[in-house]
Amino acid sequence: MKYFAGIDIGSTAIKISIVDENKNLIGSKISASGSMFYKYAQETLDALTNELELNNNNIAYIVATGYGRKLYKEADENISEITANAIGARAAASEFGEIKTIINIGGQDSKAISLDSEGNVVNFAMNDRCAAGTGKFLDVVALKLEMDVNMLGEYHFRSQGTPLSVSSTCAVFAESEIIGLLGNDHSIEDIVCGVHYSIAKRIVKLVKRVGIKEGVYFDGGPALNAGLVNAIENELGQRIFVPKNPQITTSFGAAIMGVDSYNYENN
Amino acid sequence: MSNINHNIESPKEKQNRHKAMEAIKLLNTLREDFKAPIKSMEYFYDLFERVHCKHESLHDGKTKIGTMCIQIPSEIIYALDGVPVRLCNGFYTDDEIGSDLMPQKACPLIKATVGHFASGNFTDKPDIVFSPTTCDQKTKAGTTIESFGYKLIDIDFPRTKESEASREYWRRSVKQFAVELSKFQGKKLNRTDLRNAIKKIGYAQSLYHKLSDFRKKEIVPILGLDVFLVTNAFFFDKIDNWIEATEKLISELEIRAKEKITVTGKASPRIVYTGSPPIFPNYKIPQIIEESDGIIVADETCSSNRMFNDMVAVDEWNIYDMMDSISDKYLKACTCPIFTKNEDRIRRVVQLVKEYKAEGVIYQAFAGCTVYEMEQRSVLEAMEKEGIPILYLESDYSPSQGGQLSTRVEAFIESLKTRRRKKK
Ligand code: SF4
Ligand code: SF4
Repeated sequence: MKYFAGIDIGSTAIKISIVDENKNLIGSKISASGSMFYKYAQETLDALTNELELNNNNIAYIVATGYGRKLYKEADENISEITANAIGARAAASEFGEIKTIINIGGQDSKAISLDSEGNVVNFAMNDRCAAGTGKFLDVVALKLEMDVNMLGEYHFRSQGTPLSVSSTCAVFAESEIIGLLGNDHSIEDIVCGVHYSIAKRIVKLVKRVGIKEGVYFDGGPALNAGLVNAIENELGQRIFVPKNPQITTSFGAAIMGVDSYNYENN
Repeated sequence: MSNINHNIESPKEKQNRHKAMEAIKLLNTLREDFKAPIKSMEYFYDLFERVHCKHESLHDGKTKIGTMCIQIPSEIIYALDGVPVRLCNGFYTDDEIGSDLMPQKACPLIKATVGHFASGNFTDKPDIVFSPTTCDQKTKAGTTIESFGYKLIDIDFPRTKESEASREYWRRSVKQFAVELSKFQGKKLNRTDLRNAIKKIGYAQSLYHKLSDFRKKEIVPILGLDVFLVTNAFFFDKIDNWIEATEKLISELEIRAKEKITVTGKASPRIVYTGSPPIFPNYKIPQIIEESDGIIVADETCSSNRMFNDMVAVDEWNIYDMMDSISDKYLKACTCPIFTKNEDRIRRVVQLVKEYKAEGVIYQAFAGCTVYEMEQRSVLEAMEKEGIPILYLESDYSPSQGGQLSTRVEAFIESLKTRRRKKK
């Protein structure tokens, strides 16, 4: 059996997925990217192959993607995270139905991707100019509220009052707005809920730029936050699909791409 | 197809949440961000929170008479057992809904009003709507609103103020309005009820004047923002509650005036505000002014001063005289820019500047409001002649755009401070 690896080197984390010849996901691993992309990527790959009891020779093809993809020279191929995300999302959601729109919130950016019925990327929009509306923003908020990011979802659903919106488009100013709200004794739940809606509104604006279609897929670390998912669903007015492991969609897509490329080159 | 199970809001719930978020944002600012908050303002903060965040209806069991402008006489509505609900709207959420139904360049106030009707999302839904043919956009919006299934009646409004003919014309319209409403209510208009209504509204107006008197003093005990909230509450609140709350507010202001409690900074320039009306929660410009250390001491807008300024002056308390006096108050005294000539408005602004010892005027027009945009020129010229500094701004309901506007307002306010220093 041959195996294929997809390595997604993002701004905050390295995500690796390994699939078999039939494009089934065999395993995945996430680690912080830090300053030495290459070294960490290699270490993570070694750790994953070890875990799966494969040796590096079993890996027939490696596809790198993400911001840092060009730094990983061992890769057989390099693809953009947009393409990889699209392929990964379609495959991850295959049992649920057809994916037409992808929302991806990363550590430092957010994207909306629109697909045609064959899964080709027809349009995409991206916000990488400011941290508001990205995972980084949630980290900042959690820090200010002195809680773990994973707790945000729970607080969201406990909100009883009117969500308190944060209007600044800049994460730095938003931070001081939050401090102001806290200083006036507003409920943390309502603040958290308001923050989620502020991000959701921004995301929906982004999605509108590529056109809102049925079949929305949401991935990236922040997709683990059920409160944010709820806020986006409400703002969109429709259900969205969140994969079990939302962080690895792009690397999964890269790995699948590897299978196709390998087959193409060897036949 | 989601794997996470929580209910998704219906479009109506979503609108309500958006509006609640807009409302609470402003209310919290008013409650928390300024110095020396007034205790009795809490009634008004709470009123708006109840209506817009908790969606409480105020007038269950009463007939709600929607009005599209101040020109529809509330006196007659009260006399015929109705509750006037003024539907001029300030929500960005509704503005966005209305944008899909109106020309892109339409006035945000109209877009928001039409959007509100389109959504049908009312805490106190009007049973009938009266729309005076004032500005073009209001006039044309009527048919759009009717198309959503509301009962709407146009009230012919003349657009010249001086001529005897238009006075007659408007008197006829007001009578026609009374006839229509009396038919709708199944009640005849009688002398006592009309008189009582005139007196009650007159009393409410006198309270407004008392409230304004405090703003003439050197030490200003209340923010312009708070006054806008009080006057905007008059759009829809139960009139008796409004009167009671305003009386309390006045007593508290009396104490504050004695104790010299001020809401301003040491050198806050005194501003007269004029132009397109600030309607809750679109207090963007007033908020920028007062956050930039200006203090609004008076205004010339139809969402505040213009509603209260002039009283119905009755000679003989018989029904015909009362009706004519009511008509005259709405036409003759009105300083709305929809009229051909509008010297009155300029006179009013100059008079306010003098009476309230203001140092500058801020004139804002909604982008898309042709009449206010057009009248800007004559007002600016007149102020220049009088030596009164004036700043003209254009704005809309969108929550962004703030930065640019603040910079201009701040610069203007600083220039007023410099002027004052030079004078001394
Ligand atoms: S601006 Fe004039 S026409 Fe428009 S609502 Fe105000 S008073 Fe009526
Ligand atoms: S602001 Fe201007 S356009 Fe809008 S309702 Fe008033 S007069 Fe009409």
